[in-house]
Amino acid sequence: MIFNALVNAALIAPPAMAFSLLFGILKFPNFAIGGYITVGAFAAYTFNVPLGLPLPLAAAAAMLVTALVVWLMHVLVFQPMEEHSAITLLVVSIALTLIIENVIRLFFSADVRGFEIPLERPWKLLGARITPEQVQIIIWSLVIGVALHCLLAYTWIGRAMRAVADNPMLAAIRGVNATRITAFTTAICGALFGLTGVFAGLDLVIEPLVGWNLTIPIFAAAILGGIGSPYGAIVGALLVGLAEEATILFLPSTYKIGVGFVIIAVLLLLRPQGLFGTAEIRK
Amino acid sequence: MSDALLKTRALQSGYGKTIICHDVTLDLAPGEITCIIGPNGAGKSTLLKTIAGVVRPVSGSVTVAGREIAGLPAAQVARSGMAYVPQEANVFRQLTTHENLTMGSWGDKTRTQEACDRIYEMFPDLARLRQTRAGNLSGGQRQMVAFGMALMLAPKVLLLDEPSAGLSPLMVGQMFDIVQRVNGEGVAILMVEQNAIQGLRIADHGIVMAAGRVALQDQASNLLASKEVSELYLGSRS
Amino acid sequence: MSAYLISMGTYVGFFMILALALNLQWGIAGMVNFGIAGFYAMGAYVSGLLVAKLGVPVGLAIPAACVAGWVLGGAVALLSVRLREDFLAIVTLGVGEVIRLIVLNEDQITEGPRGLRIDGRPFGDLIGPELYPLFYLLLVAVCVLITYLVCERIRRAPMGRTLRAIREDDVVAEVLGKNVLMHRVLTFAIGGFFMGLAGALYAHYVQNISPEVFMPVVAMFIWMSVIVGGAGNNRGILIGAGTVMIFLEGTRFIGDFTDVLDAEKMSAMRIILIGFLLIVTLRLRPRGLLPEPKFNVKKT
Repeated sequence: MIFNALVNAALIAPPAMAFSLLFGILKFPNFAIGGYITVGAFAAYTFNVPLGLPLPLAAAAAMLVTALVVWLMHVLVFQPMEEHSAITLLVVSIALTLIIENVIRLFFSADVRGFEIPLERPWKLLGARITPEQVQIIIWSLVIGVALHCLLAYTWIGRAMRAVADNPMLAAIRGVNATRITAFTTAICGALFGLTGVFAGLDLVIEPLVGWNLTIPIFAAAILGGIGSPYGAIVGALLVGLAEEATILFLPSTYKIGVGFVIIAVLLLLRPQGLFGTAEIRK
Repeated sequence: MSDALLKTRALQSGYGKTIICHDVTLDLAPGEITCIIGPNGAGKSTLLKTIAGVVRPVSGSVTVAGREIAGLPAAQVARSGMAYVPQEANVFRQLTTHENLTMGSWGDKTRTQEACDRIYEMFPDLARLRQTRAGNLSGGQRQMVAFGMALMLAPKVLLLDEPSAGLSPLMVGQMFDIVQRVNGEGVAILMVEQNAIQGLRIADHGIVMAAGRVALQDQASNLLASKEVSELYLGSRS
Repeated sequence: MSAYLISMGTYVGFFMILALALNLQWGIAGMVNFGIAGFYAMGAYVSGLLVAKLGVPVGLAIPAACVAGWVLGGAVALLSVRLREDFLAIVTLGVGEVIRLIVLNEDQITEGPRGLRIDGRPFGDLIGPELYPLFYLLLVAVCVLITYLVCERIRRAPMGRTLRAIREDDVVAEVLGKNVLMHRVLTFAIGGFFMGLAGALYAHYVQNISPEVFMPVVAMFIWMSVIVGGAGNNRGILIGAGTVMIFLEGTRFIGDFTDVLDAEKMSAMRIILIGFLLIVTLRLRPRGLLPEPKFNVKKT
């Protein structure tokens, strides 16, 4: 159970960090991430199965494609609508997810698919069944987390990303081209969503709703960790992963998706700034 | 005054269709402090924002060392040798002191190291607070970070919007000392100040703004001595 | 064909009631509700279960559904008034999903995915089966009219002004002595009341309800109706709901005449179209087809 929770967390953590980053810059909860993850899953599928690329290459290509899609959506849809309220943008982002999901349905039909990978017998460890894919997900998720941390903490562009999220006007005053930094951030987040699509395809199945089903756990993790704080999102992901696995013990597994919501609701009511976020003064 | 470093000529600006600043013409000579005073809503901050490129001018010109910058976005004005310190939200609260400073040299990253050393020498307090998040600093410390960030690229002109706002009375005095010290390094300063008397005392020139126009422009000492100015704008201190 | 139009008109009616209720909550009072599907389901199942399992007369079951929606709205508002609006969006979406999950899983009561059969209909014994659809359309139209009049009345009344004040700045409204909490909870509850009504009307119209109807996408369609029509403007909302419904249902005709796309692809196309409708409307008319009228202080 602990192991399953870890896999869940590894699946949710990178997109929760990306969601947190995006929220920092765009200031609204972007439901389009569901669509983006689905794009990643299907792009990887296309490169892997019909085109016959080995999965690691297909995954890299899918990350690239998703980064491009996310950037394009930002430029075509969200950037021109900047002056709209957060709620309008939220509705637009849900509409965007619906569009993406259904465009994929048009091309791929709703059949359930999987990657072409050699089937290996799951290892048994202390009575738990562990597949090599799950171990890979955990390892790669860790690698990505460390890489993102290095990018944010030690590079110029990472600092600028945080600066623009914090205070875009001051960033401009100090000579930072906020448009370019925002574009870069969306692309980085896009790559993370693409990777999540690949992971989801490995651990779950590839179908048009794969992203939507992950959206709420991702939100829950990001909000738990304190929105806008990518590191908090990692801890949030662990907690959500545990909570989801724990519910299965008591409730029918179809309730799993509700767990994220309940976590969000309870937490927001008790501690609106998240577990690790700092209280914000309302203006 | 033709050798002025910063010049504005017939500058007009505002928000949407509302014009706030009308026909502002001023000069700032190298190494001088000019203090802009005037009642609330006189357009002082808007004038500064227009010069810094944060608010777009409707018409008129702004030049720094002879180069026209009116209408350029703030990110490009930042490379013109002029740095602007806004009144509020003038540090990145989520970044550490050190990271804040490095953001100040975005325009020329090769100079970051020596510039940081220079700033820490100037504000020894900051060296101690290197790894502290700016959001957790006190008001005075935050103001130093804001100044330090603006000074990273060694600008020739510094625009300060109410540097003493929100500081404790004790800190206000220190703030003006810092402004004078920065000026002592040869940086010309154009500042807006509520604290008119203290502002004018350290300034070479003073500008009185009212209703978006320059109402008076003179040596700071003359303005301080003028009965009319002290009654209308400085508040009678009898 | 005319049977089809009558049925489509009835569905437009459900949408209009939901959209008017959302407009009251969000467009006028500025409170976000993404759990519309949950309120709709609440109305449908309360009325449906009362009739099907307990034999309560329809004439009592429908008002009971409205009251259930009212209570749910009040409870959600009470719990979450302190939340930022984007977080309230996620919480209300969660409320909607949890209601759907309960309906889906507690199948001893709700019949779950098998669907709940409801035999009772309002005035079912008085009107013959040929005329009944037309009668029901009229009944729904009357309900739309009542909802419209109530919402319009609230918008124009002093309460509407207070709600707009709260929407623009709740702190200022509070300082001015308005009971912000009471106004918010009451408005959200009234919105819930009408959403419950729409659910009950739906349940007795289709007479067989199952949880997959109450997916979050319903909330999306209603939100699109409000945004496309013009938030804050009740007449705009009616147009918005009509437009979205025509896009949603009207495109079925095209499906009937072409065999290029199968049913599944057709339904995908429809949702893509709706999505574009929203984005294009926002780009061309940022405040919706009929923007909120500006209030003249002197006139009122």
